[in-house]
Amino acid sequence: MTVNALRMTGATKSYGRTVALDGLDLVVEEGRFFVIFGPSAVGKTTALRTISGLVRLDRGSVDLFGQDVTHAPIAGRGVSMVFQTFALYPHLTVYNNLAYPLREAKVASAEVDRRVKEVAAMLRISHVLNRKPTTASGGEQQRVALGRSLIQRPKLLLLDEPLTNLDAKLRHDMRAEFKRLHREFGITIVYATPDELEALSMGDEIAVMRQGKVVQVGSPDELYDRPRDVYVATKIGAPAMNIISAKRGREASTIELPFGEVSVDPRKSWAAVAADAAAGESFLLGVRPYDLKLTGSSGYSGEVRLVEPLGDLTVVDVHAGGAELKMVLPEAQAAGVRHGDRLNFAFDAAHAHLFRPRDGAALG
Amino acid sequence: MTTDTVPVSGGLPRLLELRADNWPLAIILAVVISIAAIALLPPEISFWVALAACILAAGSAVYNAWGRYKGGLLVAPAIALLFIMNIFPLMWSLGLSFFSYRANRARAPVFVGLDNYADILTDPVVWERLQTTAVLVVLTVTVQMVVGFLLAFLFAKQFPLRRYLLILVLTPMMLSYVAVGAFFRYYYEPTFGLLSQFVRLFTGEPYILLQSTEGAMAGIVFADAWMWSPFVMLLVLAGLVSVPKYLYEAAAIDRASFWRKFTSITFPYIRGLLMLALLFRTIEAFKLFDIVFLLTEGGPGTSTETVSLYLFRQAIQFNKTSDSTTISYILLFTVIVLTNLYLYFVNRRARETQS
Repeated sequence: MTVNALRMTGATKSYGRTVALDGLDLVVEEGRFFVIFGPSAVGKTTALRTISGLVRLDRGSVDLFGQDVTHAPIAGRGVSMVFQTFALYPHLTVYNNLAYPLREAKVASAEVDRRVKEVAAMLRISHVLNRKPTTASGGEQQRVALGRSLIQRPKLLLLDEPLTNLDAKLRHDMRAEFKRLHREFGITIVYATPDELEALSMGDEIAVMRQGKVVQVGSPDELYDRPRDVYVATKIGAPAMNIISAKRGREASTIELPFGEVSVDPRKSWAAVAADAAAGESFLLGVRPYDLKLTGSSGYSGEVRLVEPLGDLTVVDVHAGGAELKMVLPEAQAAGVRHGDRLNFAFDAAHAHLFRPRDGAALG
Repeated sequence: MTTDTVPVSGGLPRLLELRADNWPLAIILAVVISIAAIALLPPEISFWVALAACILAAGSAVYNAWGRYKGGLLVAPAIALLFIMNIFPLMWSLGLSFFSYRANRARAPVFVGLDNYADILTDPVVWERLQTTAVLVVLTVTVQMVVGFLLAFLFAKQFPLRRYLLILVLTPMMLSYVAVGAFFRYYYEPTFGLLSQFVRLFTGEPYILLQSTEGAMAGIVFADAWMWSPFVMLLVLAGLVSVPKYLYEAAAIDRASFWRKFTSITFPYIRGLLMLALLFRTIEAFKLFDIVFLLTEGGPGTSTETVSLYLFRQAIQFNKTSDSTTISYILLFTVIVLTNLYLYFVNRRARETQS
């Protein structure tokens, strides 16, 4: 049986009137690369700071490896944290930055030297050891910050938006780097990010947060294929899922859309919900931009409002019956598409999602 | 002087041309005439001759600049004022330190070369005053630095009424020396002074702080530190506020002790400002005069008489004009040398830590 590296129960923290954490529940199994995902100011950072011990909860508890540490000091938690700003000590050399936590732990100097060099080699920062952090590049600073955490051999590593301050190319490289390090060190990582690409590409498991609460926890595929509500559906996946206001059609097996009707696939889990609903009851229908296909002359019709070529793929904004839709087309199909053209398109209802308008919850 | 941007092209023939706008020639002439006048004529006349020569040179420079160098003309009044109020008196007093002269005698200055300097530097009284000054400098600067430093740490934290307390603490720095002097005079006053009253509660005797050398020193140091610790505090506080909060959080995650956080994070941020405070306060303390004059007038005896106070007595009370200019130049020289040595070491340290 696996041990839970982290268990947060009903974690609540407010700063004045601002509620940062509102009854947050999290369970992270040992050895996982766990991502906390959500836009800025949803409480990701506060959650990490609570786990590290920098912040004390108003209510709720934090368990690390089966021990209640809600009121325990930072030391002894076996947790380390990499900050968004890197927070390197500007007046110390990279070497001394790396050695800092060890010196504090009164490790013998030969051992300090050995471990600093080992970590530096692993992170490929050996060449900057004698320099001040500010003279190193952004990516190097990032790795120094990571090294300073790893050298403590934490059981749980917290990463607070570590790639936000890096440029796009570096971000791409570092994503692979983090995955590699996770494999090599075999430690549990909790990684907070507002970037869904980072979340999907790195996370074994992702918790989507909203206003201090976890909305849904799952693997990247689960979140993508079975979002629990409109919030998760639109946050995971880019471009965001199209949400179209819909009505139950006159017949039980149809859904009425602003630009036409779609017949419900009876195999789909929400088919029964739609069938049970009264005629004219409103819903929200979600379709991913990738699931909208061009058809020759059949299907629904819409007018092209915007064309964004992205190389292999092209994002096309279509205005159809009062609804704005985004669709992603392969380069070959998108070649002739111009602003103002009329397009015919269709989608397979089996790939659509149905949500309740009142609270956005997924149906079925 | 006002037109330093004019290129002196054309060389010597151009320079010797006798024209109203030939300002380089005018300046050379003014200097030559002034030196000749001071050397040859009696002082009553030479002063006016030198003045006329200077006005001539200035007039030539203005004539040259007229309509061509408007910027230069615009700053000319400021430079002229600076010259009249600052540079000329400085040079004049420097000159006087090589003469034997008393301002209250109608006798002309007599050139004595370096005799004044030799006399002052071998005068045991001056050395005694220098020692008194040194003791006061060390004591008052130390107290100010320590108190200011601790106050800064206090005010770096957030607590109720912090803003109002901060204003109160900063007030002494803004008071005039006379106000502070009067305040502490009453404070130390033997019959009704607060200090004396307080001591009398325990001993039953009135307490006269300023009657002993140590007491007088302590009184001066306390008053000066009271006035200037806030200055040190302000500088250190600026440093403390500039430390990014996340560094302390990182240090907490790295389990750094309080002392280690201080030495590796806080101190590097305030070191420069601390050095600056030390420099400013040391220079000021060297010139310590007002508080001493107001509190003890150098007493008891001459035990708290600083060099500045001695200088004041020599110049104003005894009218030893050239002696006092000599002392002030020795003092100025000392401060400049000390300051430069200090800056040299600070810069060298900064370079070492940078690389």
